[in-house]
Amino acid sequence: MSTLDALGQGFAAALTPWNLLFAFIGTTLGTAIGVLPGIGPALTVAVLLPVTFTLDPVSAFIMFGGIYYGAMYGGSTTSILLNTPGETGAIATAIDGHAMALQGRGAAALTTAALGSFVAGTLGTAGLALFAPALATVALEFGPAEYFALAVLAFAAATALIGRSLISGLASLFVGLALGLVGIDPLTGNARLSFGIPQLLDGIDVVILVIGLFAVGETLHQAWRHGRGERKPVQLRRFVGLTREEWRRSWPAWLRGTAIGFPLGVLPMGGSLIPTFLSYLAEKRVSANPEEFGHGAIEGVAGPEAANNASTAGVLVPLLTLGVPSSATAAILLAAFQQYGLRPGPLLFDSQPTLVWTLIASLFLGNAMLLVLNLPLAGVWTRVMLLPRPLLFAGVLVLASLGAYSLNRSLLDVALVYGAGALGLAMRELELPLVPAVLGLVLGPMGEQQLRRALAISEGDVTVLVSRPLSAALLALAVAALVVPWLVARRRKARRAN
Amino acid sequence: MSATSGEFVILRWNVLSAIALALVATIAAAAAAAQPQFEQLRIVAPAAPGGGWDQTARAMQQVLLETGIAKTPVVENVAGAAGTIGLARFIGAERGNGDALLVSGLIMLGGIVTHDSPVTLADVVPIARLTGEYEVLTVPTSSPLATLDDLLRAFKNDPESISWGGGSAGGSDQILAGLVAAAVGIEPRRVNYIAFSGGGEALAAIVGGQVTVGINGLAEFAAQIEAGTVRVLAISSAERLPGLDAPTLREQGVEVEFENWRSVVAPPGITADERARLADAVEAMVRSAEWRELLARFRWLDRYLAGDEFAAFAAAEEQRVRAVLRELGTGASPAGRALEPYPVLVLAGLAIFGTAALVSRRRAHRTEPANATLHWRSLLLIASGAGLLLVLAERAGFVVAAALLFWLVARAFDARHALRDGVAAVCVAAAAYALFTYALDLPLPAGALADWL
Repeated sequence: MSTLDALGQGFAAALTPWNLLFAFIGTTLGTAIGVLPGIGPALTVAVLLPVTFTLDPVSAFIMFGGIYYGAMYGGSTTSILLNTPGETGAIATAIDGHAMALQGRGAAALTTAALGSFVAGTLGTAGLALFAPALATVALEFGPAEYFALAVLAFAAATALIGRSLISGLASLFVGLALGLVGIDPLTGNARLSFGIPQLLDGIDVVILVIGLFAVGETLHQAWRHGRGERKPVQLRRFVGLTREEWRRSWPAWLRGTAIGFPLGVLPMGGSLIPTFLSYLAEKRVSANPEEFGHGAIEGVAGPEAANNASTAGVLVPLLTLGVPSSATAAILLAAFQQYGLRPGPLLFDSQPTLVWTLIASLFLGNAMLLVLNLPLAGVWTRVMLLPRPLLFAGVLVLASLGAYSLNRSLLDVALVYGAGALGLAMRELELPLVPAVLGLVLGPMGEQQLRRALAISEGDVTVLVSRPLSAALLALAVAALVVPWLVARRRKARRAN
Repeated sequence: MSATSGEFVILRWNVLSAIALALVATIAAAAAAAQPQFEQLRIVAPAAPGGGWDQTARAMQQVLLETGIAKTPVVENVAGAAGTIGLARFIGAERGNGDALLVSGLIMLGGIVTHDSPVTLADVVPIARLTGEYEVLTVPTSSPLATLDDLLRAFKNDPESISWGGGSAGGSDQILAGLVAAAVGIEPRRVNYIAFSGGGEALAAIVGGQVTVGINGLAEFAAQIEAGTVRVLAISSAERLPGLDAPTLREQGVEVEFENWRSVVAPPGITADERARLADAVEAMVRSAEWRELLARFRWLDRYLAGDEFAAFAAAEEQRVRAVLRELGTGASPAGRALEPYPVLVLAGLAIFGTAALVSRRRAHRTEPANATLHWRSLLLIASGAGLLLVLAERAGFVVAAALLFWLVARAFDARHALRDGVAAVCVAAAAYALFTYALDLPLPAGALADWL
């Protein structure tokens, strides 16, 4: 049976009113929870699991798939409008998305995010349908040395975000690296900097830092600098759809974002932080006007949003073909498979063709549904910007507190979010960029652990980092990411001098 | 917490109530035969969704529901530090609650030893051991190591050249690696153990041949073994298992038998009656046909052992784990607390660049006129709102605390509209409470308003 035949049968099975209903419930629910900071698809699926004990597995997975994709759509909304990313995949979007929203172009940002998510989700799902087993084999080639090289590449990419001053960028990066030290060293089991507080043993959740630095920090900063003073309200621009110019700048970014996000999602490393930031970097590097980035460049929204959704689709590749969950949501989906007595792994496509192809078909359908659901909402959501500022900031702080509490139902997390907010205020006052700190928190532990693993396996032989072709290639890319912009700038200068 | 814990347990998902109702009707019909022993039962899994403890908790939930032993069993995940965070939280939050169980097991003992946990399994009420799971030593099919003998020969020859990949440090996988090493006369400290965090990282590294040999639970590897992507060198059972072509460690001359057991415990401070009631419910569960079916599905062994016998077993196991881990050299040993290069590097970097950023910022602004007015009052208003939320959320309840926070933050930005902000504050806090508690099943503390919410 060819892939297309199988997919056709999948569509036939998915297109029943009952299954479409579940796809609709899943996508709506997913979008709704995506909007709330701190509440992700993993938690939602976990809560729903017992409700689905008696459901047909196909219907249940159609709903779960909808939640999974839907949450990625919803996540961009608060990020763009309120500068409150609720998860790591939405941080890159916030940089230029929120700048657009302040210029009254929020609807355009939300539209390019929705369209980009649709394009990437559809292409990613197609990639899943066509190449899943082959891609899984490549993913297995990634060992600790390769993951370390990938972290180095991401660090190199982060220099693009550092902005004017190298010192302030590094200071911010080290704040993140230091926060990343907290918790158990996974290789030895020893606790570091956790001060005897049991909840700190597992480290500082990146979501806590993100909500604190961005949402709480921004609120504190506005209060400190402007207090009760009147400020000019945001003037919404009339929005009837993306302009020709916006289309022209968006669609290549969607495709590049997909090309970056999907393969990185396939790697069992988890998280959409790296794909979204590499996409942001790529957009800034290829753009004719890089100076617009940070001030409302539409590519800075289109690319990362596409990368985020494409990586979401990519995560399903190792899950279905290897039984390897690489994100929290994938882990709970795996638990759901097991609940039905199904075993994702190399044999799943052969032993459960109906389920797999119906699931894939329903992901296509869910994506289309999400587009239909989210496009008209773009104009509605944007009106949030017209709310009185005191109410808006108060709402953001209440939402941030709630989101933090819901992570572990612990007030300690709320206190940590406030602490991160104070840190955000201090960093804004010192004019330190915020994003390198988040990257440091995620990449620091990853780089350290993978390097130590790689060296333990090679018995301390450092050449393992360059003798493995994939690792060497990634490190070469990292060097290029550092050197090429410098060369280009030099050449430009020389040309100008002539 | 405990005053409101009743509010926590009820499973509600009003968004899906239409569908849920239909399901509940079916379940209720099946359950009508037996009188439920528990209205509500909270099962805490001290790990993230997806792992062995979570699977155990969810299997229990499924069986308790299907057999009608409990009407609304709820699973709560409290992840972290090999289950010790969940254990500490369980002891603190559920003390005296006769409707709660915590999933625990061998790995938690490893965590208690490794992380020097202030609470141990002696601080909870033992109910029963439930299951056991064998571990397998696997290599990718492409590996040159064809048998356990090949592996052990290479290992004895140059112990450090063999990398053993498995789950978290101090867990069951590393314990077995240590036991195997000791059995073949190699000092366990020389095992080059590569700890991977859960979530499939170990699986990918083992199947991809990144480590020489993998050690893992049989269930996690079942799909790979079936598909033939890995070769089983040995299984830790006493006898060969039916339907699995894998020799035991023992028949290949390694005198080790090992299984990763899982159990349930109850909170401290419950009465003898409550303990008996929980024990009866668990016994009824393990005797059911539904439980048998799940055991087969997950390839778990029935290792039901109740009450004081289980307590004695757990105490003996703790001694064994402590001894093995000491030989392996993991965990809270003074030597492990030595200065490591990476943290020192990072903290030094933070000090250097942080100071540099401070200095350069000072210098840049010395020339500027200090015309910016800073709004201390606004900042203080927000800080007091945040402080009040932390103090009041669990005492006066979430709605009160959040409404106060909202109002104070709004005051920070707004000199007028005190009444409008107040109305908005109450509406937002109440709406958020309703959304989280009823629609998202993430109950917030109700506090003083518990009676009429």
